Amino acid sequence: MPEANVRHRPAVAMALSLLFAGLGQLYNRRYIKGILFLIIEAAFLITFYNFLNIGLWGLVTLGEIPMLDHSIFLLIQGLVSVIIIAFAVALHVANVIDARNDARRRQRGEPFPSLVESCRNAWDRGFPYIFVTPGLVMLLFIVVLPLLFMVSLAFTDYNLYHSPPRHLLNWVGFDNFKNLVSIPIWKGTFFSVLAWTIVWTVVATTMQIALGLFLALLVNDPRIKFKRFIRTVLILPWAVPAFVTILVFAAMFNDKFGAINREVLSLFGLSVPWMTDPFWTKVALILIQTWLGFPFVFALFTGVLQSISRDWYEAADIDGATRWQKFKSITLPHVLYATAPLLIMQYAGNFNNFNIIYLFNDGGPAVRGQNAGGTDILISWVYDLTFTTNNYNMAAAISLIIGLIVCGFAVYQFRRTRSFKEEGNI
Amino acid sequence: MRKALSLFLMAVLLIGVLGACGPKRDVQQPKGNDQKTAEQDKKPEKLVVWVNDDEKQKQALKDIFQKYTEKTGIKIEMVAVSMLDQTKKLALDGPAGKGPDVFYQPHDRIGDIVLQGLADPVDLGDAKGEYSETAVNAVTYDGQTYGVPAVVETYGVFYNKNLVPEAPKTMDELMKIAKEKTNAAKDQYGFLMEAANFYFVYPFFAGYGGYVFKNENGKYDTSDIGLANDGAVKGAELVQSWFKNGYIPKEITGDIMNGLFTKGNVAVAITGPWNIASYKEALGDKLATAPLPVLDNGEHPKSFVGVKTWMLSAYSKNKAWAVDFMKFVTNEENSLHYYEVAGEMPANQKALTNEKITNDPLIAGFAEQIQYGEPMPNVPEMSQVWEPMGNALQFIAKGDNPKAVLSEAVKTIQDKIAASGAGK
Repeated sequence: MPEANVRHRPAVAMALSLLFAGLGQLYNRRYIKGILFLIIEAAFLITFYNFLNIGLWGLVTLGEIPMLDHSIFLLIQGLVSVIIIAFAVALHVANVIDARNDARRRQRGEPFPSLVESCRNAWDRGFPYIFVTPGLVMLLFIVVLPLLFMVSLAFTDYNLYHSPPRHLLNWVGFDNFKNLVSIPIWKGTFFSVLAWTIVWTVVATTMQIALGLFLALLVNDPRIKFKRFIRTVLILPWAVPAFVTILVFAAMFNDKFGAINREVLSLFGLSVPWMTDPFWTKVALILIQTWLGFPFVFALFTGVLQSISRDWYEAADIDGATRWQKFKSITLPHVLYATAPLLIMQYAGNFNNFNIIYLFNDGGPAVRGQNAGGTDILISWVYDLTFTTNNYNMAAAISLIIGLIVCGFAVYQFRRTRSFKEEGNI
Repeated sequence: MRKALSLFLMAVLLIGVLGACGPKRDVQQPKGNDQKTAEQDKKPEKLVVWVNDDEKQKQALKDIFQKYTEKTGIKIEMVAVSMLDQTKKLALDGPAGKGPDVFYQPHDRIGDIVLQGLADPVDLGDAKGEYSETAVNAVTYDGQTYGVPAVVETYGVFYNKNLVPEAPKTMDELMKIAKEKTNAAKDQYGFLMEAANFYFVYPFFAGYGGYVFKNENGKYDTSDIGLANDGAVKGAELVQSWFKNGYIPKEITGDIMNGLFTKGNVAVAITGPWNIASYKEALGDKLATAPLPVLDNGEHPKSFVGVKTWMLSAYSKNKAWAVDFMKFVTNEENSLHYYEVAGEMPANQKALTNEKITNDPLIAGFAEQIQYGEPMPNVPEMSQVWEPMGNALQFIAKGDNPKAVLSEAVKTIQDKIAASGAGK
């Protein structure tokens, strides 16, 4: 039992550890721990010094000599360096906190746990962290690094005329975003595409949810026979790959040669310009998305409907509730309460539903005086910018905006659903 | 605690910025490479060559590479990389030292490739006369030749002998066929083409004097766009008349046209030699080809010519031998062998006029059309032209005023070029 030592100051221990890992521990006379920390920090510095040096230099300058420095490689190395440094800082902070805690113990004269004991303690307390760490590291490099790379590109001038290895990239700050809302060619297109994207998301997703709900209620009615068969049939549109379905639909909707105008509408003497008039193309897209999207919602709601207790309805019947009241006050809240997060994901998914827009009519038909097609949504426009005109910087800037919109939307809705839950059950 | 932390972070940043003083090296431009003649250059063990990922083409090239190894003793390592992916892959593999010596690209990508610094110019030297003039022009960028042309491609007229005994020689004859043979209600057409696709429509603009970018002495002036001048408008009016008269439905797509033609419902179609195989299967010996019909001003429509080219990687360490190899692959004998196996028309002038090709009824028409054609512009700005022009043709098909539509399209192209960062 060591005696209390008032002259031993935690602040000194912290400062020493801040200077170099392990020094504070040595001051606390925890020699083994101190030496271990010293070795770890020194090893880290020796191992990574070169990599971090070049990485940070590359991140700041993006290279100095064309054909020798490759801006893209330097940018990625710089981002990796930042991630490594963040790890190192976290560990360093842990070491400072450890020095402080030990110093306080010394001050108060509490005994130190033995090495074996402290190891066991660390294992017990850190167990979840130890098991999560490998996954977290993987996640950082697989998910976070590409995201950071994309975000970085939005602030560079990476386009056809500034492509490594012959040219270096430069940081241009917020210029790309400014151009997006000020240069006419970008401005007009951006806002009209954004408007249609929002309309498309809201209308198409709501339609598929409404249809799914309607059919689920219908099939769930006790008077319906052959439930299993009907459910199987209704799931079919989901079972066929959307890729194939969309291409088949694209052929069917062809104004002159497609089956819809030729075989069906000709009976009524109509011919709708599905592919050549922006309005009708939008109608066709929404119809197809409703067809593709409702089976998932239908399956989801069918499951939830099974789980609503019959007692609710019996009680409602005794109170003399109408069909509509029962639906509005019992069925709908139950269904939405259970599925809200998944429905939000449907909205987010359609906001970025590249496949259907690209495969159906490639964002067309053209609209005079606009640089994107009449049915291009943000993501398909970004695709165009990246792959046909190599405007990587603009594509990254717009992607960033898309990401922020989807994020904001999702966060807001998730919080809403949680507050919805906290209001208690109906 | 907070204060200590923030102080510490600032210290780390400071150390980072101070420490990041970058690599120590002499700041000087990397030396330009001077191409010596093959004799002076040390013979490499092997050359790495990226070829397009196509079975027939690989088979043809394997024989030719074998011959080169027998002749020089240099091994050729053939790596199949799809043509569309080669530049992306080279931009990453080249700097890493894993790239090829020679790669294979369509000539209209040359501008992009040079901008990225991926290819070096190739001195054709005495061999320049061996290739067709169109092919040499196609690989010329900023007055220098980048690469050795291997394959030329353009489109022409296919016709169904069941419906028309002779190919239309002039536009008037073609219009007569369209008028007589078209019955849209029964899906019978006298003449079809993808008339809303700029790639196929360009010859009718150019035949009257339209042009994409003004070309002088192998240099394109991208500020001078001739797609809304009187000639282009005249061509557009001609194209519009086809839609107006109901000869061509405005919903036409390549797939629909191919379907109708192979069913035997189309007398004359304008498309490229890549359709020969499927058309021949459907029509047998009733299929024939010809060059594009002459316009009413006596000019041949100037079709876009695409040239697939062997290019020299800027990262190659054996440049002189790589050039020697490229010339060997595209000489007359090897070009003909490649044509026989892979079925693509050679850029080598002697091979192109060889009777093996001129006597092939299905290829002769295209080979002749090559002479009237002009290479697709190879400047990077070309990528900004396709979409606005495609849209313009859609509006023309709907019946909008050609002059107004084309002027708008040219304005859009100029805006797009300016916005893409050119010249900054």
